[in-house]
Amino acid sequence: MIWKRQIPILIVTLIGSITLFGWFIDQPTIKEFVSDDATQWFDILASFAIILGALNLIKLQVQKVLYQKPGWIYSVVAISGFIFAIIAGFFVKGVDDSVAQWGAHVTTEGTLFKWMFDYMFTPMSATMFSLLAFFVASASYRAFRIRNFEATLLLVSGIIIMVGRVPIGSVIPSWFIMYLLVLSAGIYVNVWKKNMTTTFIFVAVGIAVVTIAGFMAGWPIDKPGIFYLPAIQEWIYYYPNVAGARSIMIGVGLGIFATSIRYILGIERSYIGE
Amino acid sequence: MKDKQFWFAIGLIALIFLVYWILGHPYFNTDRIVMFITIIAMSSTLMYNVRFAQRGGEFYLRPIPGLKAVEEAVGRSTEMGRPILYVPGIQDMDQVETVAGVIVLGHVAKLTARYETSLNVPVSRSIVMKAAREACRESYMIEGRPDMFNEDMVHYLTDDQFAYAAGVNGIMVREKPAACMYMGKFYAESLILAETGNSIGAIQIAGTASQAQIPFFVTACDYTLIGEEFFAASAYLSKKPELIGGVRGQDMIKIAVIVTIIISTGLMVLYGNTGIGFDVSKYLTIR
Repeated sequence: MIWKRQIPILIVTLIGSITLFGWFIDQPTIKEFVSDDATQWFDILASFAIILGALNLIKLQVQKVLYQKPGWIYSVVAISGFIFAIIAGFFVKGVDDSVAQWGAHVTTEGTLFKWMFDYMFTPMSATMFSLLAFFVASASYRAFRIRNFEATLLLVSGIIIMVGRVPIGSVIPSWFIMYLLVLSAGIYVNVWKKNMTTTFIFVAVGIAVVTIAGFMAGWPIDKPGIFYLPAIQEWIYYYPNVAGARSIMIGVGLGIFATSIRYILGIERSYIGE
Repeated sequence: MKDKQFWFAIGLIALIFLVYWILGHPYFNTDRIVMFITIIAMSSTLMYNVRFAQRGGEFYLRPIPGLKAVEEAVGRSTEMGRPILYVPGIQDMDQVETVAGVIVLGHVAKLTARYETSLNVPVSRSIVMKAAREACRESYMIEGRPDMFNEDMVHYLTDDQFAYAAGVNGIMVREKPAACMYMGKFYAESLILAETGNSIGAIQIAGTASQAQIPFFVTACDYTLIGEEFFAASAYLSKKPELIGGVRGQDMIKIAVIVTIIISTGLMVLYGNTGIGFDVSKYLTIR
C-alpha cells in the first residue's frame, strides 16, 4: 500500500514544492532544476512511454484485422503505414551515407523518410486542417442564428468585426451606418407600437436628422467615430473582448493554482485512484 | 490532520521562515517577495476553506449545468445502447488541464460502470494512456465491476494533432457514440471534433481552459465547462468536502483579486493624475 499511496503523494509533494518555491530561490542549481531539468525529465520519460503507445496501437489494429472486425480494412492501412514508417526511419534511407547519415536522414531532402513526410504526412495533415474552414462555416451559421438577445448581439458583433477588419469596411461612411440604425430602430418601434403612422414618423424624423447633420458636417466618412465600422470593431476587439478574455484567464489561473495546491498538499488524490 | 497538529505545523513552518529571514534570508529572491506573500496568502485561504469543509461547514455551490449533464449523457448512452466517447485533450500529463480531464474521466468511468455502458477513450499521449487506464480501472473496481473493465477501452492513437483528430473523427463516424465528452487541453482540432460529434447527433459536453477553443466548444457542444468550472469539476462530481472547500477558497481568492484590481486601478489613476500616493504597478509587476 505504501508504494501505491504514500510514496506517490510524497513524490508529488516534494517535486511540486521544489518547483513552486524554487521560483523564489536565487540558487543556480535549484533555478536550473525548476526551469530546465524538471521539464527535461518529463520529456525523457514521455519519449520512453511512446513505445507503450505504439505497441498498444499496433496490437489493436492487428486484432481488428485478425478478427475481421467492422472497418478492418482501415486497420490494414494503419498497419502498412506503421511498417512503412519504421522501414523508412530505421532500415532504408534511400540515399548514400555521403548524402545523409543515419539520424540526419529524417530531415535531409531525397531520403525515403523525408519523402514520406513531405508527400504523405504533410498533405494529409493539411487536408485535416483545411477541413476547419468548412467546420467554421457550419459552426458560425449555428452560432449566428437569431434565437435570442445574446445570439443577436453575437451576430451584430460578428458582422461588425468581420466587415470592420477588411478594406471595404473603411469605405463605408458612418452616415450609412446611422441610416441603417434608424431603419433598424424603426423595425423595433413598429413591433413595439404596432402603428404604421408612429413608425413612419419615427423613421422620417430619424432620416431627416441624420441627413441634416450630414449636410452640416460635410459628410466626413469617419465622423462621428462611434458609427465608423473600423473604429467600432477596434473598440469591440480591445475592450469588451479583452475584458471577457481576461476574466476567463483569471479564472483559469486560479483554477490551475488551486488544482496544483490541492496536489502539492495531498488533498486531491484522484491520480492514485482515491 | 487534527487542529492542534495543523496549527503546530503551521507555527513551526512560520518560525523556521522567521529565523531564516532574520538570519539574512540567503538565496531568497527579494524581488519576488510580493508574489511569495500572495502565494502564501492564497494557499492559506484554500487550506482554511478545506479545513472548514472537513469540519462539516456547509456552503452553497452554484449548480453547473454541464456537470449535471454528465449523468444525463451516460443515461442517454445506456438507453440507446451506444458507447460514450471521452477525449482527454491532446497534451501530456504535464498540463494541468489534462490532469483535470483524467480526473473527470475517473468520475465518468464510475457512471459507465454503474450503468453498464461501454466507454471509449482514444488518447494522444502514452503517459495519458497509462494514467487514464489507472483512473478507469480504479473506478470500475470502486463500483464493484472489475469484470467490465477492459484495458483497451483506453487506447493510444497518435501524438500528431491532426492525425489524432482524423482518428477520433473516424471512431465517431463508425461507432456513432451517443455522447461525446471533450475534457482537456485542445487546439485547432477542437472544432473538427465537436462539429463531427454534432453531425452524428451525439450529446456533447466539453471542458477546457484553452481560451481560444472555448467559443468553438460553446458553438458546437450542448454544454461547455468554461475555464475554472472545468477545474472545479472534480469537486462537484466527487462531492468530497475537502475538494468542495477548495472551490469556496478559489471563489474567495477571486473576490480578493477583483478588489485588488479595483483598488490598484484607483491608486494608479490617482498617482498618474495627481502624483498622490505611490506607483502600485511596481509591486504588482512580476520580476
